[in-house]
Amino acid sequence: MGFSIIWYLREFLRAEWLRNFFFAKTAPLVDPPYFRGYPALTGKECTHCLSCMMICPTPGAIEVLRDGETWTPHIYPGHCIRCGLCVEACPEDVLDAGRVLETQKRDRTDISVRYQVTVNPDTCVRCGNCVVACPVNKEADPQLGAGGTSANDEVIMKIHRGNLWVVHDEKCTGCKTCESVCPTTAIRIARVAEGRQEVGK
Amino acid sequence: MTDMLQKLKNAVRSRSIHVAYVDTGSCNGCDIEVLACLSPRYDLEQYGIYVHNNPREADILLVIGCCTPQWEDKLKGIWEKIPEPKAAIAIGNCPVSGCVFNREGSYVNPPASKHIPIAASVPGCPPRPTEIIRAVLSLAPTIFADYEEKRQ
Ligand code: SF4
Ligand code: SF4
Ligand code: SF4
Ligand code: SF4
Repeated sequence: MGFSIIWYLREFLRAEWLRNFFFAKTAPLVDPPYFRGYPALTGKECTHCLSCMMICPTPGAIEVLRDGETWTPHIYPGHCIRCGLCVEACPEDVLDAGRVLETQKRDRTDISVRYQVTVNPDTCVRCGNCVVACPVNKEADPQLGAGGTSANDEVIMKIHRGNLWVVHDEKCTGCKTCESVCPTTAIRIARVAEGRQEVGK
Repeated sequence: MTDMLQKLKNAVRSRSIHVAYVDTGSCNGCDIEVLACLSPRYDLEQYGIYVHNNPREADILLVIGCCTPQWEDKLKGIWEKIPEPKAAIAIGNCPVSGCVFNREGSYVNPPASKHIPIAASVPGCPPRPTEIIRAVLSLAPTIFADYEEKRQ
């Protein structure tokens, strides 16, 4: 009886056990290096293409702001979900988070973005506003007719024989100027973002 | 004598923090991170943090989720049930900004600080368990130290 009490005391009053009981601190309270945190600037120059803002799924998470002569993307914690899509979408590698850029280089992936121009023929009144307003059209054909007609085949869309034809929607930059001038909201611009992987060499 | 007592209270309080959490409409990601804090890897209880889902026992309320209209009065009710001294921590983006749910036509009413006083927030979607533990540990001593003296 007496022996077993002493035995128990000796067993449970081991210095190491007592130390662990009173000063336990074992959890790894540091973030591992592969943790994808908030995207941080890499120091490369931002070209203000806004790909990052357009791919971002969260309202109010990223803003590209003018900073003197240059542009800088700003990330807002409390909004940003740390998905890393802006890092992948940026063509200039301005941002980096965790291993995103490294993985992207290794797997040779990128995000391609194109815009699809859709016109609803039932509501379009063939006014040609969209053709005239589009900045890409103006660049492609400076002699654009006031009614949206064009002798040039390089424009994105044109009025031809009383109808609106979309001929080169791969040139669209997604500015949506056309949407804003259409009187019947017949024209719609959809952004199509696709993840791609380069296979082989 | 009161000094000694106060010191003892401070020491005990900083090693015995009872936490209640409430999900006011999140995707459950943050709930799972809070649960991960209890797992052996992070082992919250070694710091003297205990998770109870009972506001009457709690010192700290973890607010998760973007405060749907049904939660507005209930969140206040839960906050009032917690005995002083108490603090609320917003976990995740939802109680800070509404995160991805805060869009036109969504039925949410963030931020949580509109409804109850929030002492700290841990942004992230979801935040890492380490970030949650760090927030609780850094907040607790400042909130609970010398509570009786501050009240006078
Ligand atoms: S990480 Fe994701 S959520 Fe955060 S700013 Fe970039 S794209 Fe937006
Ligand atoms: S950060 Fe990258 S994607 Fe964003 S505007 Fe600058 S260059 Fe474009
Ligand atoms: S979105 Fe801009 S570039 Fe594209 S068709 Fe409309 S006006 Fe032209
Ligand atoms: S502006 Fe609208 S209505 Fe006019 S031609 Fe273009 S799509 Fe049709």
